[in-house]
Amino acid sequence: MINAFLVFNGQGQPRLTKFYTQLDTSIQQRLISEIFTLVSNRPPGSCNFLPLPPLLAASSTSNTSSSAQEQNDVPSLVTYRNYATLYFIVISTSTESPLALIDLIQVYVEALDRLFENVCELDLIFNYETLHATLGEMVVGGVVIETNMERIVAGVRAQGTVAKRPVNEGRTGGGLGGSLGAGLGMGGMVWHGR
Amino acid sequence: MRNGTRTDSKFEKSLYDLIRGLRNHKGNEKEYIQNCLKECRSEIRSQDMDLKATALLKLVYLEMVGHDMSWASFHVLEVMSSQKYHQKRVGYLAAVQSFRPDTDVLMMATNLLKKDVAASLPTIIALPIAALPHIVTPSLAMSLLGDLLPRLGHSHAAIRKKTVVTLYRLALVYPEALRASWPKIKERLMDPEEDSSVTAAIVNVVCELGWRRPHDFLPLAPRLFELLVDGGNNWMAIKLIKLFATLTPLEPRLVRKLLPPLTNLIRTTPAMSLLYECINGIIQGGILGDGEDFSAREEVASLCVTKLRGMVSANSDPNLKYVALLAFNRIVVTHPFLVAQQEDVILECIDSEDITIRIKALDLVQGMVSSDNLVSIVSRLMRQLKASSAALSQQQNGLEGQDPETDSSDEASADPRRRRKTLEPAPPLPDDYTVDVIGRILRMCSQDNYANMADFDWYLDVLTQLVRIAPAPRAKDLDADLSAPKLAGDVSEKIGNELRNVAVKVKAIRAAAVRAAELAVSRMNSEISPTRPVVSGALKPVAWIVGEYAFQLLSPDDTLRHLLDLVPRVEYSEGLATCLQAVLKLFAYVAGDDQALWTPERKSSVTLLMARVIHVLEPFALHPYLEVQERAVEFIELLKLTAEAAAGQAPSTDEVQQDPPLLLTQAIPSLFTGWELNSVAAGTQQNVPIPDDLDLDEPIHPDLNRLLSQADSLMLPTQGDDEFEAYYNQKPAATSMASEPAINRLLDAPEEVATSSYQQSEESYLDPDIIARRKAERQERYRDDPFYIPESTASGGRSTPIHTILQKENGPDLDIDSIPIMQLDLNLSGRASPAERQQPPPKPKPRQRIIVAADETLGFGGSGGGSGLSTPRAYDSENNNSDTLAKKSRSAATTAAAARRLKQQSLLQFTSTHINDLALEETGGGKGEGGSGDSGFTHERQQREEAEMALALKEVQRLRLEMQRANERIQVAQGVPVEGVVVRRKKKGTGTGLRGRRLRRVTKKKVGVEGEEGGPVGEGEGVVKAKKKKVKRVVKLDEGEGGAAAPAEGE
Repeated sequence: MINAFLVFNGQGQPRLTKFYTQLDTSIQQRLISEIFTLVSNRPPGSCNFLPLPPLLAASSTSNTSSSAQEQNDVPSLVTYRNYATLYFIVISTSTESPLALIDLIQVYVEALDRLFENVCELDLIFNYETLHATLGEMVVGGVVIETNMERIVAGVRAQGTVAKRPVNEGRTGGGLGGSLGAGLGMGGMVWHGR
Repeated sequence: MRNGTRTDSKFEKSLYDLIRGLRNHKGNEKEYIQNCLKECRSEIRSQDMDLKATALLKLVYLEMVGHDMSWASFHVLEVMSSQKYHQKRVGYLAAVQSFRPDTDVLMMATNLLKKDVAASLPTIIALPIAALPHIVTPSLAMSLLGDLLPRLGHSHAAIRKKTVVTLYRLALVYPEALRASWPKIKERLMDPEEDSSVTAAIVNVVCELGWRRPHDFLPLAPRLFELLVDGGNNWMAIKLIKLFATLTPLEPRLVRKLLPPLTNLIRTTPAMSLLYECINGIIQGGILGDGEDFSAREEVASLCVTKLRGMVSANSDPNLKYVALLAFNRIVVTHPFLVAQQEDVILECIDSEDITIRIKALDLVQGMVSSDNLVSIVSRLMRQLKASSAALSQQQNGLEGQDPETDSSDEASADPRRRRKTLEPAPPLPDDYTVDVIGRILRMCSQDNYANMADFDWYLDVLTQLVRIAPAPRAKDLDADLSAPKLAGDVSEKIGNELRNVAVKVKAIRAAAVRAAELAVSRMNSEISPTRPVVSGALKPVAWIVGEYAFQLLSPDDTLRHLLDLVPRVEYSEGLATCLQAVLKLFAYVAGDDQALWTPERKSSVTLLMARVIHVLEPFALHPYLEVQERAVEFIELLKLTAEAAAGQAPSTDEVQQDPPLLLTQAIPSLFTGWELNSVAAGTQQNVPIPDDLDLDEPIHPDLNRLLSQADSLMLPTQGDDEFEAYYNQKPAATSMASEPAINRLLDAPEEVATSSYQQSEESYLDPDIIARRKAERQERYRDDPFYIPESTASGGRSTPIHTILQKENGPDLDIDSIPIMQLDLNLSGRASPAERQQPPPKPKPRQRIIVAADETLGFGGSGGGSGLSTPRAYDSENNNSDTLAKKSRSAATTAAAARRLKQQSLLQFTSTHINDLALEETGGGKGEGGSGDSGFTHERQQREEAEMALALKEVQRLRLEMQRANERIQVAQGVPVEGVVVRRKKKGTGTGLRGRRLRRVTKKKVGVEGEEGGPVGEGEGVVKAKKKKVKRVVKLDEGEGGAAAPAEGE
């Protein structure tokens, strides 16, 4: 199962936080900053998986005595992907397929790109309700329910029109506007699961 | 106010304004956010629903950035109950993001959720369904189950698939939900006409359930197989394979069916994720195992393992490397031999740049350690650590040049990027990783009571090096709440404990271990500047070693002096207690020689020494930690007594032979000698029987009070401390043989570069002084070996003719070539090679026959052989042989902490323990739907009860109406105006408050109608009463109920 889905930018500012189990706000923030430290220190050419952040590592090692079954409930995999200025993070249990999660993030970003037409960080900042809606069409309660792009986009659109970015916040404003579209070029990676 | 884009004539901010404001207030965001929060607080209380919803949306945004909004949970409910979809959606989003297990308004949401689940618009139905997994509790699950079940048959596929998943999450906290919904879910799964994405969602859920209770899902195998063969959805195929991997161990016949499609997928699929999961599934599902069709399986096995090997090998994609290691980590449990064959490629991964890959490789390697590869594995790890710590210290030196007060431990974690900038080739590793690796090294080496350890000398050197590398504990930033137990602090203590274990357990190597400890103490003293506190946890075990085995020290006087210098700076109490003990043990050894004469020199030096020790101990007599205080007081008194005795004993002259005072030579040493301490297995201490005649209430001495009062008057006059301190401080430090020669430090950096080519040599990870000592020991060992040509010492022992000629010609001043020779000397491998060449056997070193003492045990079958069982975890169980008191309290504390941690749910974990106990009772194929008629199902029972309750309520209402009418008839008959009663009632009805309702009930009671009626309604309101303050709004929420009740009264 998926334990959490996070999006934050290169400065560690959260853009989307979704925890599929209830967690204190302060601990959420600590987890985010721990993951950000890990993710921002990756040497070039590393894999898309992170070692467990200290917060999670501590709780999973304390359970070493418990059965293998319970291990399946404990978050053990942190997958990330970097698009332009943004990091997409999935924390999941060992029952998820690591490579498929990389694809899942790709689907999510592509769906956003479809909804916003050439999505950039600004779109996500100002329309974070749409971010949640899109994720809600893909994952419910930590279980993936849809990986088909058409259906995801249709599902979000059915909930109402997707707002555009405010006119006066052009791509030039703020310098954050690097299009994620560049990141989508990564589709040429070795596996392409869907 | 601001350029209010969407604000229609009002002054509130929209979410856009908030975000834009945040971006315009770079630098003082905190203040800005506080202002916004204040505004939100008032806006959210507004009666205007739009304003309320906007404020909530802003709060949700701020919550994401880390600002608590739990105080707003009631307003969340208000917005959730809005009639407008876009407001409702904000409300549900806020509930998902902000509700916590302790949110108490949740129980008020039940009716609202029920209503929304039953709504007609699919977009509205989707809201509670998607929100439920986040907020569900067992009671909520129980009351909503009945409303959710019909949604499995909803005409929209999107609703069906979301419902399936929500039911699964409900079942995790309330297993009955699964029992009730399973027949319907199964029906959906079996239906070939079902929408493919619903099927995929069901497969996801079944896969999650599958590993919990695989037996229940075996009957589904044919359908699942069908889906796997012609599914076409990769995500679903991956899940199916994972599910089958848990099913095949239960049903071996599945294997034969599965192999063809799986191998087909492996050969054809373009998706790497699916390919990997196929391989993983084949291995994990035990399909590789032995069976009748052996050759076919052999083929599959080699296919899989070679694929995985290809993934791990050097130049493959890093993600594949990682997942292949992940797969190996799973295989190693069932097929260790297959993984062992890949040792070479896996070991390469230890040196990967990527820490994730390194850690996964380490996980694997730990299980593959043997006496053959231990040294090479540990060497690899040591090289990494050394490089990282060298990078760190280089940088610290650079920094300390400018600012000597920079705290090294702080910046180690504070700014990783700055560190990288300064040193490209070997960026320092994060502390957590370093600690982890050190822990693994120790575990690998000490495994099974040192079963894999062939060369303890080498191990001691590794430990000595580790003590230096170990990161300093982060003293301050260890907030006590959730964080792991003090990792870094523990690790250096662990290293020290290992050193002590070796010293205690391996007698053959004890002398070397003691010297290593001696070195560590002197180094700690010289390295840490006098103003800094000593925080290294290694001090405690190391101090114990030098105290316990003082007779094996090279220079007990120096060690005592180092220890005395260190003691005032030790910060943690447990270590301090051990140090005090060690000080006295050392003192007893240094001063307590009963053979030597009591000369005037000895008298004065012993007196000075005692004064010094007393001076160091005195501050601790008031130490807050009792163990330290007690020892300090004891030793001070003891030493004062001894000092008195020594002062009274005249020194021997040429004529009169005087013995040293017995207190010094007999009494004090006898406190510490006697029995040799052996390592004791964990828990044995508790098995020591309590003597029958032990009476703890009996006073130690019948007249204790008098003794104590006498003791008060027996104070020694304190001597001028300053004088002695000055004496010791001004004394030029004796050149300790242990301290590092300056030349080594100079050569440090170039050597680092030069040795990069000697991949396996020790100097790449050991400090120069350790290498020098090793070299010296080697020379010592080979001194009597006729084949070994000893090297000339610096003073010029060996003299070849040419050398003497040159020396004669040039004279001693012009000995030019001596400089390059000096440098060559430092190169160990060059030196060692002739020795090795002339050793007849090519083996680098004959394996030492070393006896490692096992832990002592008590009870447990009595035999010492039991130690074999108890020692595999020697690593954890060490250090119960010293300081039993301190240890006991510590271990008690740690076990308590461990227990607490076990009880406490680990972070982000899904709770699912209950569901494991639930049997789906899938025995008969046809029973699927018929099973729902079983009276044992609480859900069904509950439904029946609800129906009964509804019937009873109707009956009550009917009776009430009848009686009311009868009453009215009576009143009319008596001439009371009917209107009066009605008007009164209406007034109360419009009051909308609880008070109104309660009054209403009171009036009814007055009328003397129903005792029973109060039952159900009162129950519904009891909930409300709990929140008296918020009652008014609650009633608004409960419109549904109120509306239902209204017509009953209206009559």
